[in-house]
Amino acid sequence: MRALPRKVVLPALGLVWGLAACHGSISSTSGEAGGSTASGATGGTGGAAARGGSGGSAATSGSSGKGGAGARGGSGGASGAAGQSGAGPAPTALETGARRLTRSELDNIVRDLFGDATSPAQKVLAEDEFNPFDNDYTLQRASRALIDSLEALADDVAARALAPAARSKVVPCTPSGAGDTACFRETVTALGLRLFRRPLADDEVSAYMTLQAFSTEDNPDVPHDFYTGIELVLRSMLQDPEFLYRLELGTPQAEAGVFKLGEYELATRLSFLLWGSTPSDALLESAAGNGLSAASARRTVAEGMLDDDRARDAVHRFHAMWLGYRSIPASAELASAFDLETTHLIDRVVFDEPKSYLELFTSPETYVNNLLADQYGLTRPSGGEGWVSYGTTGREGILSHGSVLAAFSKFSDTSPTQRGIFVQTRLLCNKVDPPPANVNVDQPPTSTTSACKYDRYAAHRTTSSCAGCHNNLDPIGFGLEQYDIGGRLRTHDDGHPECTIDGEGELPGYGTFSGPGELSEKLVGSGELSSCFVEQWLSYALGRHVADNEAGVVDELSQGFSSKSYAAKELLLDYVASDRFALRREEPAP
Amino acid sequence: MTLRLPRRTVLRALGGVGVSLPILECMLDSHGEALAQSSGMPLRYAIVFAGQALGGDGWEEDHSQVAGVRTTEAGHFIVPPETGANYTVTTPLTALDELGLLGDVSLVSGLSIPFNASSVEPGDVPAGGAFRDFHGGGAGPLLCGTRSLAADFTCRSATSDQLVAAKNKGSVLDSLVLRAQPVWYLSGSSFSGRQYISYRGDRDPIEAQTSPRIVYHSLFDGFTPSGDGAAAQHDFELRARKSVLSLITDKREKLLAKVGAADKQRLQRHFDEIRDLEMRIAATPTMTNGCAPPTEPGDDPPVGGNNAGATSDEIATNTGYSDEHGRARLLADLIHMAFVCDITRVATLQLTVFQSHMNVYPITEMLGLPVRADLHECGHNGDQENRGQLPVSTCLKWHLSHYAYLLDKLKKTPEGAGTVLDNSAIVFMPEAGHGVQLNDGESVNQTHSVEKMILMVGGRAGGLAPGRHIALTGTHPSKVLVSAMQATGYDGDSLGEVTGTAPELFG
Repeated sequence: MRALPRKVVLPALGLVWGLAACHGSISSTSGEAGGSTASGATGGTGGAAARGGSGGSAATSGSSGKGGAGARGGSGGASGAAGQSGAGPAPTALETGARRLTRSELDNIVRDLFGDATSPAQKVLAEDEFNPFDNDYTLQRASRALIDSLEALADDVAARALAPAARSKVVPCTPSGAGDTACFRETVTALGLRLFRRPLADDEVSAYMTLQAFSTEDNPDVPHDFYTGIELVLRSMLQDPEFLYRLELGTPQAEAGVFKLGEYELATRLSFLLWGSTPSDALLESAAGNGLSAASARRTVAEGMLDDDRARDAVHRFHAMWLGYRSIPASAELASAFDLETTHLIDRVVFDEPKSYLELFTSPETYVNNLLADQYGLTRPSGGEGWVSYGTTGREGILSHGSVLAAFSKFSDTSPTQRGIFVQTRLLCNKVDPPPANVNVDQPPTSTTSACKYDRYAAHRTTSSCAGCHNNLDPIGFGLEQYDIGGRLRTHDDGHPECTIDGEGELPGYGTFSGPGELSEKLVGSGELSSCFVEQWLSYALGRHVADNEAGVVDELSQGFSSKSYAAKELLLDYVASDRFALRREEPAP
Repeated sequence: MTLRLPRRTVLRALGGVGVSLPILECMLDSHGEALAQSSGMPLRYAIVFAGQALGGDGWEEDHSQVAGVRTTEAGHFIVPPETGANYTVTTPLTALDELGLLGDVSLVSGLSIPFNASSVEPGDVPAGGAFRDFHGGGAGPLLCGTRSLAADFTCRSATSDQLVAAKNKGSVLDSLVLRAQPVWYLSGSSFSGRQYISYRGDRDPIEAQTSPRIVYHSLFDGFTPSGDGAAAQHDFELRARKSVLSLITDKREKLLAKVGAADKQRLQRHFDEIRDLEMRIAATPTMTNGCAPPTEPGDDPPVGGNNAGATSDEIATNTGYSDEHGRARLLADLIHMAFVCDITRVATLQLTVFQSHMNVYPITEMLGLPVRADLHECGHNGDQENRGQLPVSTCLKWHLSHYAYLLDKLKKTPEGAGTVLDNSAIVFMPEAGHGVQLNDGESVNQTHSVEKMILMVGGRAGGLAPGRHIALTGTHPSKVLVSAMQATGYDGDSLGEVTGTAPELFG
């Protein structure tokens, strides 16, 4: 385990509780209050406490509360390994628990299997908790509301899937009549394989055959036919925990608690990781032919999967959650332009011109339409949409995008503190303790003598109880202050021409900078950004935060990433082709 | 009544793995312990929650003016200057006054949750008190009377609604837990506990249902429609539903035996909730006087996207809003009929979540004062154009309009010699008061305060004597809740760490 945190843990403000508050408490502006919610400064959500609260971490503040459901170290979850002590090699098998499919995954599944693109799960299921990824199984808990919503979801999806125009995707045969048991059985078998991601045993298929009675009963008052029973089969399977949870069993290995995954479990891991969806028929066929246990074969299969558009969607979504812009607070037209810009850059560095992934941060070009070119003050692209050079504007890469610059802000303005937290926690994977309780982060700092933001943040710098932590945060944000939450360049505070923004900032430990371009160079140069990306991606892959004793895994993967010139696809492929990918460690009893 | 359950289900529920779902108890004892002493009618308890404070930051409450006139800041703070009956109708209270309901509610003011003014350490939080960080620390003691130890938006004991529900069940459900605000509206974070107001116990929240359509079906699908064809279709669907679920629950033991201990616990919880659904389906509701399932509400209003706007000028009707107004009305309709039909006797309706960022433009425009802000900002001070107490009061009035809507429906439904409202205690609970800021412990006239809070209690269950403004300065809100709980079947004298009542509610 990490005897000491692998990276700097920022000074805990908790030591100075009770001293002067860093924020003015009376405010008449909406200001920078985004901090309180965008990062859960009250100890609630996410990014800022990326590793906070992980069980067993001595650095964890006792007061860094989590949301109601509790995160790591809260209500169960994969906290056990984190509590183990003693240095050792990076574990090969990593802990995972039963992960319930997210709303996004459910919608992708019904799209892929039934051609149902209505995103029904977004409509009827409660919003997943993001911390920062929506697939964190340690935050999931079943509830009456969930069960009722899942029943409604299953009913809606099954009704659409069995509508005459759609049913050929579900029923592989033409029934001779309502009582055609062979076709019923064939359909159950096919559905079971797709939804449970494994072949059903004969007795399991037989159990579903009982529903054919609803197709054949003598009931003149109720229209019913062969498909009536099939619809009920589908309703049942869609509400079945074997469909809703990714249950991994595997075969026991020599080391107690470690299991080797079976072929179908590997297919499932691959498809949810790379596609955010269920295995395709082809992938299930590979599993049936024992084509996934061998690392080299698995790698080949994964290479093919990365050529599919589903892989791009999944990679886009990972970035949106990681960098906090999964839905952009901007007008629809602008949001769509931001999305166009950011997804083009991700596609370019990951898929289309795979060189160093770090060019995501240092790209000298960006993909804009006229609207966005005007917004940024760049030359309009020829043809109204395309790549344009940043030139000497001081912009580089994704940190110059309006999507990312909009993240960690609230409605009206940027927050230097929140942008600092964003860089420290999401890009450098440093831990930032929550603010002391008596600081009201729900309100922006105020000043009695100046309306200028830099002056209003003076207490952060000059009050000793604040500066210890804020000096690691605010200078980063002030280096980005010339870029507003829409990515526009500005020279003074919004609404205050007298408040000139000099745009000078500092990345603590790495020197001064001005603007997103110079910041990105420093981040890349630090060497920390690439390993932090690896850690974030591993969290996403595992469905939980990386535990302290898994730092060696991040180091190992990071070294491999570096040796492959930071080619992101190689990182993914090396991971899925590793022994680690094919093993699981059982969680300790709760 | 006796529930009619399939024999197989009964056996499994009684002999299976022991897990405590409240609904299981419905199989063991008949409901109805808490019938009104005099009328024999069921007693109902509900909480309507507003994720909002009472006053704008820095504005002193001023009692000198009458509501509705915006010449000064006065008259808009909810608490009137006079106690007793016939008090001044302040701006938020007009929502009740317009429906003639001020005689049916008690407004209890001056309530306070204790905190340690000299320490912010979790260990120094007093019993029933708030950890010194407002939003996350104030939630627990308000909802369940037990001290918070962090800013973690959680309860460390059961909430009032669940304690009443344990003693006072309807024919199908122990309680109905609903929320009108379906999503959080901020990018980069999520609810993280702000979406819960009902807890079964220590940090055991109950997820609310937010879909009016799903609530409708969960409540009223058990009723057999009239007409042979419709009845046959209903019977067919009911049998189909049971068979569909049976195929799942039949797998329970086999599946649980395969997985590790942690996964087993997760799956057990899931299976238990499916079993709960099976039992709800099996529990046929009785048709009583006035019970008539409402019209199926149709598709839910679309869920709005994140709150938009690089500047507040862009905050309008486009985003950050999912027709919470329409959703709240539909959910109130459903609570009303669930009460009338005695499907349940306990409900919670969270109109907006703690620290809500719902866009208030659509709702305030409806009330004639468009505010370009989210609810959290509105609660502090309004927006750039409309500052101070009036926008705050307007947002509060919107919340109260839904409370009034529910009370009005209950009042208009006869029951026995009176109305359903006569057999109810319906609580209105805003998130915050207006006083010393909890975080710094010194700034006055602040929204982030657990001082000078209010609760309203509507109805006449158990001898409640509404129609007055009652000032109970310094009293813990839990004491008011305990009185409302006792009026509706609760036999304890405490909520969490707070013991005592507010006898003034009974006249």
